[in-house]
Amino acid sequence: MPNTLQFKPPKGKRRLSGASLLLALAALASGCQGDVTLPESNAGANTTSSNNGTSTTPVKEEVIEPAPGPAVVMRLTETQYRNAMEDLFGTGLPSVALEPDTNPYLFFSIGAATTTVTSHGVEQYLDSALAITARVFDDPARREQLLGCAPEDIEDACVRAFIERFGQRAFRRPLSPEQITRWHDLGREIAAISDVNTALESVVGAMLQSPRFLYRRIEGTQGPQGNRQYTSYEMAERLAFFLWNAPPDQQLLDAAANGELEDRASILSHAQRMVEDPRARAATQDFFAQYLDLERLEHVERDPERYPGFTPETTAAMEMEVRLLVDDIIFRAQGDIRSLFSSPRGYVNSELAALYNVEAPGASLVSFVPVEFSAQSKRAGILTLGAFLTMNAHPTETSPTLRGKYVLERLLCQTVPPPPDDIDLNLDPNASEPKTLRERLIEHRENPACYGCHKLTDPPGFLFEHFDSVGVYREQVDGITVDASGELLGETFDNATEFVPSLATDPRLSHCMVRQLYRHAQGRLEEAGEEPLLDAIDLEFAASGYRFKDLLVAVAASEGFRTYQPGATP
Amino acid sequence: MSTYKRRPLSRRTFLRGAAAGGALAMGLPLLEAMISPKQARAQAGQLPFFGVFYWANGLPWTSKHGGEQGTAGHPDHWTPAEDGTYAPTPLLEPLAPFGVNVATGLRPITEIPAMPPGQGDGHMRGFMVALTGDRPRGEDFNHSAHYLTSRRESIDQYIANHPRFYDPGAPPRYRSIEVGVSDARFHTYGHWNAISYNGPGSLNLPIMKPSALYDRLFGVDLGVEENQRRKLMLDAVLADAADLEKQLGATDRIRLEAHLDHMRAIERRFEASTMTCAQPDRPVNSDDLTEKTRLMGQLLATAINCGLTRVFSFMLTSPASTHVFNNLGVPDGMHKTCHDGHWQRVYDITRYQMQAFAAFLETFQTTLPDGETLLDKGVILGLSEYGEGWKHSTNELPALLAGGAGGKLARGVHARAGGDNASYSRVHLTALQALDLGDESFGWSGGEARDVLPGFLR
Repeated sequence: MPNTLQFKPPKGKRRLSGASLLLALAALASGCQGDVTLPESNAGANTTSSNNGTSTTPVKEEVIEPAPGPAVVMRLTETQYRNAMEDLFGTGLPSVALEPDTNPYLFFSIGAATTTVTSHGVEQYLDSALAITARVFDDPARREQLLGCAPEDIEDACVRAFIERFGQRAFRRPLSPEQITRWHDLGREIAAISDVNTALESVVGAMLQSPRFLYRRIEGTQGPQGNRQYTSYEMAERLAFFLWNAPPDQQLLDAAANGELEDRASILSHAQRMVEDPRARAATQDFFAQYLDLERLEHVERDPERYPGFTPETTAAMEMEVRLLVDDIIFRAQGDIRSLFSSPRGYVNSELAALYNVEAPGASLVSFVPVEFSAQSKRAGILTLGAFLTMNAHPTETSPTLRGKYVLERLLCQTVPPPPDDIDLNLDPNASEPKTLRERLIEHRENPACYGCHKLTDPPGFLFEHFDSVGVYREQVDGITVDASGELLGETFDNATEFVPSLATDPRLSHCMVRQLYRHAQGRLEEAGEEPLLDAIDLEFAASGYRFKDLLVAVAASEGFRTYQPGATP
Repeated sequence: MSTYKRRPLSRRTFLRGAAAGGALAMGLPLLEAMISPKQARAQAGQLPFFGVFYWANGLPWTSKHGGEQGTAGHPDHWTPAEDGTYAPTPLLEPLAPFGVNVATGLRPITEIPAMPPGQGDGHMRGFMVALTGDRPRGEDFNHSAHYLTSRRESIDQYIANHPRFYDPGAPPRYRSIEVGVSDARFHTYGHWNAISYNGPGSLNLPIMKPSALYDRLFGVDLGVEENQRRKLMLDAVLADAADLEKQLGATDRIRLEAHLDHMRAIERRFEASTMTCAQPDRPVNSDDLTEKTRLMGQLLATAINCGLTRVFSFMLTSPASTHVFNNLGVPDGMHKTCHDGHWQRVYDITRYQMQAFAAFLETFQTTLPDGETLLDKGVILGLSEYGEGWKHSTNELPALLAGGAGGKLARGVHARAGGDNASYSRVHLTALQALDLGDESFGWSGGEARDVLPGFLR
């Protein structure tokens, strides 16, 4: 029986959670593929960024004093909120709609640090807290398990003990005696007009609406070299929300109570433990989903007549394929994560197998099997697979611009300059009728208003022209042989297949992956003073053989993650 | 100790009319409402409302937008030929029954700082000026990431917070309501998601489902005890949060304070007893844009009629919308369709959006006891993000003013601006003066306007 994974496309909602992926993976028999290796990497080669004026890394001649960046106060993202609820109450909770998260600069953590919740959002927090506490308190067994007792009166000793204990888990810090009294007083007020269980339901419901639960606040403490550093409780939060997308567990809270999380060694030790926890798998999936923009697949629509074999479930399968590859490289094979972009590996169900024109014994609509792409199939790495190709294309034709922009900005951290503010409108209207998409886009590049962006985005995007708007490989379009030659920042390639091995070992790819993970972890963009800190993490990443778990630990234990600039924020 | 009876979990409030059991004939198309005559006069008669109606991607391009746009020789089906009372052009024809005023020739004239680069971008500068009267905020502007925020409130929030709009002693149940219809987004973050802003980094995300809007506005009685319980809970949270602000830096303090303000407003609703109309039927959601517009419009009109709010913001399609209008046979998203230069398809989509606007205005044609319609009492500002979407010209940034403002706004008038007096904020100012708010100028960063549009005010 070949290895297969059961996959049930969720009805209607095509979003796949990390949790559903884990369920699928649990069914996978022990892997039969060998470790993924890349050709000799040039990690030791010159790492100076090409000075084309658009890179975000500075030229190396400049000496930068390393300095941490500012602290930011993040509100819990929706995933973190739901994980926190599960942590506090268990599973089977009602899922009330919350205000959608936003992801400026790719990451929801940055949105969490910058956006203001709307009045509707606050109402939704209220509705959610009420619904969850009603569910828990309506069930006597569940209620007793939460409270640790069955109080008959609001003055029973176990009530205050419960408030103290629950409060510490919910707020991720111990409560002061005054705070405990204040919540107890709320219980007393409500008990006076109802009963003790309604009173405690209300106390819990109120605590879940408190900014102490919803925001990750910072007080900090004095750190080295005039900088601030996060307190032990704050580090517990930072580690847990970064590595697990969930609140700190009891082990972390106990360590924090002992003041243990304020030096690199102890932080490192906890981080190493935490990346082995199943929660790290789901959180890592969540990072890759943002880094690779998998959510955009949900909004893809295609005309079934134009693209036979493409159904509403196809994009869900494309997303699943990427998630399976990510999990395989990072957690099963524990190999070089850069191979995500160059390895001739796929995980296909029957739909994807048909789209890619590969044999996939054992694959069905809901079963995924690993496949090894042959050289003839022209596929290697996710840039030649359904997700990237489809989300970066229009319903009627491909989009070299979107594909090129994705590679440049998302994978290589290159910025694309804005168009000039004054637009030259004198274009020759008698240009001959263009034929191919490449010819039409060349027109855009000849217009000075468009040139700045398109001269950078289009050439790498053309490399993918053999793949249509749903990722099917084609030699011709409308009778004309496809020309997939292109260029990435000065270097030319004949097509994507030739390009991807070079991309995978390009130092800019791994630098950028580090940078993106750092932004996600910090909830903000990096500052100039953090470049040396990023370089240090980079070196650790390379030394580990580009193992992503090691990168997670390197970021978590880095100086930039545990210290911050004194300044406007505390 | 009294036995506490649990009520259903929703926050909904039951709105009782003074004439309980007796319904006045309101002539509402689909919904019943019970309103006491006195309240009707107070709510709908004397106090005007304001709303924004936003559609994406401007107008089909013509030579008025620029030289290049003119080379294709497409006709101008928007700009009326006459000043003053005008004969509807093909794109304005769907709005003809409502006597909508049209201003043409307007454009942003705000300054464009050189750094950070890209602030002159047609999309971003265009919708920022159309909605706030100011340029985008420079401090966090990043063209490459398409990231921007506003320097100030959008016009709907400006009016909702205006000292002369709501009575400070009698704040409304909802200061404003924001809704949206199309789910298609150019980007899923920030100002590509919303057209109502409170200031830098603070958006009012639209409610996207008619049923969700209904749940927010109408519903069943919670009962005295449940209202009291919720109020006590919120009191405790606010007291607990009072300590927190001291720890925070300035920006975070503003964010937290906004959060707490929202809680205070919710708390007031649990205390309030002003009830003015009965519960309409809960709508069934629709995927059809026009039907969804109609459902949202009916709910908003009812909410205004009942005095729940007097300000709204309606986003038919989002900025740089990627909506695929396959009902019109357009195979690609609207944004790409514009950039590919498909003039006829852009024309068809724009006409459809005007038809949706007409369907929306129709829901405000409720006849009131004094014989006028709800639309006669208010001002609805129709606008878009730039002049046209092929080359992103911000010339001819469209502006429509619908409604009668209780008699202050003329009906069916066209004014053409130009030359030195083309600031888009002339339409903002005209709306403010129609609402009798006392503003003598509007607009910032070089966009200040002091002249209303000729013939618009009575």
